[in-house]
Amino acid sequence: MSRIGVFVCHCGENISRTVDVEQVAKAAGEIPGVAYSCDYKYMCSDPGQTLLKKAVAEHKLDGVLVAACSPRMHEKTFRKAAEAAGLNPYLCEMANIREHCSWVHEDRDMATAKAKDIVKLMVERVRKGKSLAPITVPVTKRALVIGGGIAGIQAALDVADAGHQVVLVERDPSIGGHMAQLSETFPTLDCSQCIMTPKMVDVANHPNITLYTYSEIEKVDGYIGNFQVTVKHKARSVDESKCTGCGVCMTKCPKKKIPNEFDQGHGMRPAIYVPFPQAVPNTPVIDRENCTMFQSGKCGVCAKVCGPGAVDYEQKDTLTVEDVGAIVVATGFKLYTIDRKPEGSPIQGYGEFGYGTIPDIIDGMTFERLASASGPTGGKILRPSDGKEPKQVVFIQCVGSRAREKGISYCSKVCCMYTAKHTMLYHHKVHDGQAYVFFMDARTPGKGYDEFWRRAVEEEEAVYIRGMVSRMYQRGDKIVVMGSDIQVGTQVEIEADLVVLATAVQPQDGADLLAQKLGISYDKYNFYSEAHAKLKPVECATAGIYLAGACQGPKDIPDTVSQASAAAAKVMTLFAKDKLERDPVVAKVNEKYCVGCFACKKVCAYGAIEEKEIRDRQGNLVKKVAYVNPGVCGGCGTCQATCPSKSIELDGYTDEQIMAMIEAL
Amino acid sequence: MTPGKKRLSYSYYPGCSLHASGREYDISTRALFKALNVGLKEVPDWFCCGATPAHNVDELLSLSLCAKNLSLAEEVEGDLAVACAACFSRLKTTQHHLKEDDSKRKQVEVAIDGPAALNKPVKHIMEILAREYGLAKLEESVKKPLLGLKVAPYYGCLLTRPPEVPELDDCEDPSIMEDLLRALGAEPVKWSHRMECCGANFTLSRPGVVLKLSNAILESARIAGADCIMVACPLCHGNLDIRQKEIKEAYGAPDSTLFGNIFGSELHGGSAPDQRDLPIFYVTQLAALAMGVASESLGFESVITDPKPLLRDKQLL
Repeated sequence: MSRIGVFVCHCGENISRTVDVEQVAKAAGEIPGVAYSCDYKYMCSDPGQTLLKKAVAEHKLDGVLVAACSPRMHEKTFRKAAEAAGLNPYLCEMANIREHCSWVHEDRDMATAKAKDIVKLMVERVRKGKSLAPITVPVTKRALVIGGGIAGIQAALDVADAGHQVVLVERDPSIGGHMAQLSETFPTLDCSQCIMTPKMVDVANHPNITLYTYSEIEKVDGYIGNFQVTVKHKARSVDESKCTGCGVCMTKCPKKKIPNEFDQGHGMRPAIYVPFPQAVPNTPVIDRENCTMFQSGKCGVCAKVCGPGAVDYEQKDTLTVEDVGAIVVATGFKLYTIDRKPEGSPIQGYGEFGYGTIPDIIDGMTFERLASASGPTGGKILRPSDGKEPKQVVFIQCVGSRAREKGISYCSKVCCMYTAKHTMLYHHKVHDGQAYVFFMDARTPGKGYDEFWRRAVEEEEAVYIRGMVSRMYQRGDKIVVMGSDIQVGTQVEIEADLVVLATAVQPQDGADLLAQKLGISYDKYNFYSEAHAKLKPVECATAGIYLAGACQGPKDIPDTVSQASAAAAKVMTLFAKDKLERDPVVAKVNEKYCVGCFACKKVCAYGAIEEKEIRDRQGNLVKKVAYVNPGVCGGCGTCQATCPSKSIELDGYTDEQIMAMIEAL
Repeated sequence: MTPGKKRLSYSYYPGCSLHASGREYDISTRALFKALNVGLKEVPDWFCCGATPAHNVDELLSLSLCAKNLSLAEEVEGDLAVACAACFSRLKTTQHHLKEDDSKRKQVEVAIDGPAALNKPVKHIMEILAREYGLAKLEESVKKPLLGLKVAPYYGCLLTRPPEVPELDDCEDPSIMEDLLRALGAEPVKWSHRMECCGANFTLSRPGVVLKLSNAILESARIAGADCIMVACPLCHGNLDIRQKEIKEAYGAPDSTLFGNIFGSELHGGSAPDQRDLPIFYVTQLAALAMGVASESLGFESVITDPKPLLRDKQLL
């Protein structure tokens, strides 16, 4: 290869401020084999790309080097331009003289010299470059959605409506998630169940959706377009195919006083139960830890009364393997419960709030259940301790969230709005009651949100006190709330009948373990990380896995649904092609030299390396060698660095290229 | 003492209160440690830690006073045992600040003409009793369990706060006093004001503030059904014990609407919260009593609110 073109970018002033780009271009032109060099203010712009294309044609270039920013930013842009000009895109490389040079140096002369060196060695790499062809892999047009809350439901319905098969896996006995627990939703105050339950029914009835409730992800193998997911179906102890959902088993169950998780422990349920009357599927499950039959072997009432004979005490957990091409993760959130401090939790608790010891201090989700028509009080606001109607209710915002000293520094995003909603619901139901809110700031940046908050304050007359609460204690049947009002600069004491804490939004339990199974990344709070905060907000860094809803960070319903539909759209984009093109920068094994030590297999983070048998014509085993599955290989090069016999190489980063680069200096 | 096991032994910083208004805290501490066979050797030539006035006036002075005491304590073997909550807080605060701030440490070392003993472990006697001597062993050592005695354990503001300094217990929900009381056979009551401030800083300058705060503490202890209050600070003791008469005069009969009557009616056999005298005990007085130390050597005669009727009533004297 001998006709290389070098294009040096100013990046506005990002590079040219510190590096003399004209000199770099001039020096590049003097490197043997460089047929053309130039500089331009914005190489990535349309005129910049045109310049590149024209030069390829005019100077018959057979290799291109763009000295500009990081290849992460614009490698694709320039490779596309080179391709348009008739070159193989992998004969176009980038020299990073911005992040690696202009941004990190101040001395113009030295930075210019360094830029020249970077260009010089990259020219050698271009010289030794080879044309590469994209790898194609088949796509299984079937999607897996993990989590059956509003995010999972929306994503599943969107993909299913587009004509693709969807497997929806939910670990609880019913889909619906937190949204099914809510009373009314902001900012329109429409009933959550009324908009949620029809969607749940749609999921159950959709011909393209396979619904697995009471199931968990056991193992994930494969790669984009070709995942094999092992799903564990926990024993329901009720045969779904026989159960008619009549509910006789639940009414006859002698054990009825088990705190109902769906009602935040405030309602009661039997040992054989559906989480709530509108559950989908309407098939009960036996809670084996609380069931007399499982604990002592004496009872069996539900089996006796079950007409279709669906109760099966012998049922075992089963596994199925699902082949899917894409995965949407929608595992949602939980609320931080301040009295329980699980091992390893970063939260230090709020001992002085008395949560857990004073029954009338509850969290936001419990208030939702109190206000919900399907809740333990039938929608009446009654306090847990004595069932009286509370006349003074104190709401406290930012409990656990935005508190660096307590361990969680992020804003939980939804609490300002749901607390405003709570004050409204309360005033609508208790006309002579008064709601107080302790808050730091009101964060209401959504369509119609600020108007909603103002309505709570101005029309519904919730008293907003800017300041935090220091402690609460019981005095008689009241809760004394001691706080501060920083606008008036005084201490405040309110005698409340009920206190509602807006506690922090946290990822679901086990979010980190699921991420490890999926091979996706998560932050220090266990929220899943998107590939790019702005440009790839629903993709994971792992190809073929998408995020929807609060598993990625606190989100309200509109945002969650939008993201779920976006994730579905990404799945459909993937499914639009029969074959998937993948970057050909993958490792290849030289089978002649490979001794089959499989050191590469041990270090491969992607699980891309397999063992391959080499046999002679008689079918006798000659030796075992490594084989790289190009569909799985991430192109990281760890195997290449590890291989003791130098028989594994990454295309585009061959030993020959690296040596040539070193020798150029 | 198990053979081969080293006898626990501490250097001891009593602080000025314990040699003056809080003498009974000092003598009961010594009596208790003797009864438990734990060594206690007073730091020679110690002086005032500056308590609350010094750090309000001059930070360098307050740090230097404590740093000097710490370096004197280095001369006596064993971790430094401190009984007074204010001394404990100041000594720990000094170590904390000087460890964090090198330039301050250098200034202080010039002032005290020597190195500051920043690594001398400073321990509150409750820490020693509950964690080092051990609750189980303490329970075993009890000769006269404090059965039937309902005690309101009072932490006050200095023992656990600010959380990074004393490292004694959870700053919002401590339990060390309750644990100790249970080990001694007494019944710790659940009450609301166990960590409120008694107003000690204002005891001379704004007595009105002190009366208000101390009244709230005494009231809530009575409502919770306590027979007495247990403290670990001579300043708290001063306010709660000496001022009871003054508080009664200032506040009269308690406002029954203020506290509701749920607790009152249940716990006092139908009577509303009263203005019973509440004896204020030091943690060491109660512990020593349970260890069978003679009451004559616990300083009961030098307090204002006489605890003897209560103790006789509970057959503890």
